[in-house]
Amino acid sequence: MTHVVRAELLRLVHRRSGLGLLAASALFAAVIGLSIYAGAADTPTGPAARRSGASVASLSGTGGGTEAFVVGASFVGFFVFVTVIALMASDLSGGTFRTLAQREPRRARLLAGKLAGVLMVAAGVVVAAETLTFVASLALAPIYDVPTAGWISLASLSQAAADAGTVLAGVAGWSVFATLVAVVFRSVPVALAAGFGWAGPFENIVSESWSPGYRWFPGQVLAALIRGGNAELGRGRAAVTAAAYAAVAGAAALWVLCRRDVTA
Amino acid sequence: MRSCDPPTGDLALSVRDLSKRYRNRMAVDGLSLDLPAGVVAGFVGPNGAGKTTTMAMLLGLVRPSGGGGAVLGQPLDHPVGYLHRVGALIESPAFYPARSGRDNLRILATIARLDPGRIPAVLDLVGLTDRAGDRFRSYSLGMKQRLGIAAALLGDPELLILDEPANGLDPEGVRDMRTLVARLGQGGRTVLVSSHDLSELEQVCDWLILIDRGRSLYQGPTAGLPGGATLILRTRRPEEAARLRPALAGTGLRISALDQAGDGATELEVAMEDADCADPAALAARINRLAFDAGVVLAGLAPRRRSLEDRYLDLIKNDLVKGDR
Repeated sequence: MTHVVRAELLRLVHRRSGLGLLAASALFAAVIGLSIYAGAADTPTGPAARRSGASVASLSGTGGGTEAFVVGASFVGFFVFVTVIALMASDLSGGTFRTLAQREPRRARLLAGKLAGVLMVAAGVVVAAETLTFVASLALAPIYDVPTAGWISLASLSQAAADAGTVLAGVAGWSVFATLVAVVFRSVPVALAAGFGWAGPFENIVSESWSPGYRWFPGQVLAALIRGGNAELGRGRAAVTAAAYAAVAGAAALWVLCRRDVTA
Repeated sequence: MRSCDPPTGDLALSVRDLSKRYRNRMAVDGLSLDLPAGVVAGFVGPNGAGKTTTMAMLLGLVRPSGGGGAVLGQPLDHPVGYLHRVGALIESPAFYPARSGRDNLRILATIARLDPGRIPAVLDLVGLTDRAGDRFRSYSLGMKQRLGIAAALLGDPELLILDEPANGLDPEGVRDMRTLVARLGQGGRTVLVSSHDLSELEQVCDWLILIDRGRSLYQGPTAGLPGGATLILRTRRPEEAARLRPALAGTGLRISALDQAGDGATELEVAMEDADCADPAALAARINRLAFDAGVVLAGLAPRRRSLEDRYLDLIKNDLVKGDR
């Protein structure tokens, strides 16, 4: 499968895309850093702080340097979801999957390799975004009187690695679900509409009136996982539930892809 | 189905009773094909005849509803066993639009575990070296088609399957594509190329497969397609043509009347493949004698080479007539 992964990396990683992803990571770091630090400083006990979960106290503790990254990452899961839907569905509807399938007829291997390639790029972006957010936090902390003495330590580094791993696990979950949606619907606009409709309005509106939705809907579970757990769902249970969902979604995507004719 | 004798020797592909059903429509209906290795074969049929579906089944993209066979000696239902020896351009060429032609070939070479060192050679072969670094989306239709062929050639395939490679090209592009297809067939490679442009196929193909409504109408050498050579008999008056018909009836020759000329002259067409002698001059002399014996002086007697398109349309028409019965 490594040949498929390498091919997908050749597709995704080039100068233009690298610069674009770096710029997006920098923008993420700046916007998230500003909003988290401003929110934590202005209303440490108000709605903004409660929503983000960040406060001056939490930002100044061990792992505070990557706190903004974790909070911000919980909002980008959905972005990952629609991006992977667009990537996969464009392959399936635009004929490139057909071209690739003539070269690698083992479709399960092809799909898994492509997904692995996407996740490797995502891992790079996660590390870059975390690093840049840490740098932005270092710059913003003095402005908002957040002490940074506890940020540079082995414990903080370990926390940063754990944060990156958690975020990447959430991103992987979103990517697997996105792949399933893309494989089932194939058309980019239809897949995006279905994915957006489900993970956006549907899950949130239903969960507002049916609280188990926060613990069971895939999007809610993945958001909780990336955030490292929340009031509704602990980190461990979110991880187990997300892993089970991802396994089912991945198997379903492979089953559909291998059974279907490649007609586009 | 009309056919010459079954091909002998190595077969690049051989399928039996291949079928594909989409809901209540049969796209391919019990198609059996034998394609000798080393030929350039034209795959011809009207829109919806099942050409692309057949090719997709050969490439493992579409699962047959029935039938089976072998491609390059490997079972059709196990494309992993033969696809590395096959190159194909099916439907429109599909590549990553934001990546260059060269990068797209590099991606395909990587996924197929092929030597990327062959990329410059295939780009040169299709005449894309100068534009290889440009994004695919900036290519003209002809360049996209050529890149598709370059991709198909990456593995130096034994069997090349091209689906309408000249589709949408301007006359110059069509000519270039014809030249390219002829070159690709040199050196023992088997080429299966579908096209609507029968005149193009006639010039490059030494083997023909005609299908309609998912069924085979003819497969064999291009020269063996029925109705290729005819003799045109011209009489001055219609009554002479009427006298000529019974005189020739005993010969077993198929005779068809053409439109009457404006001066009252009538033309009859005799299919030469029905004659028991292959020499057109000898046949002409025999017919002339028969006409003379019947008291008809022929005003004209000339051989005519019917185009592939005419013969193809005859076959389609005959098939439709049979299908309506």
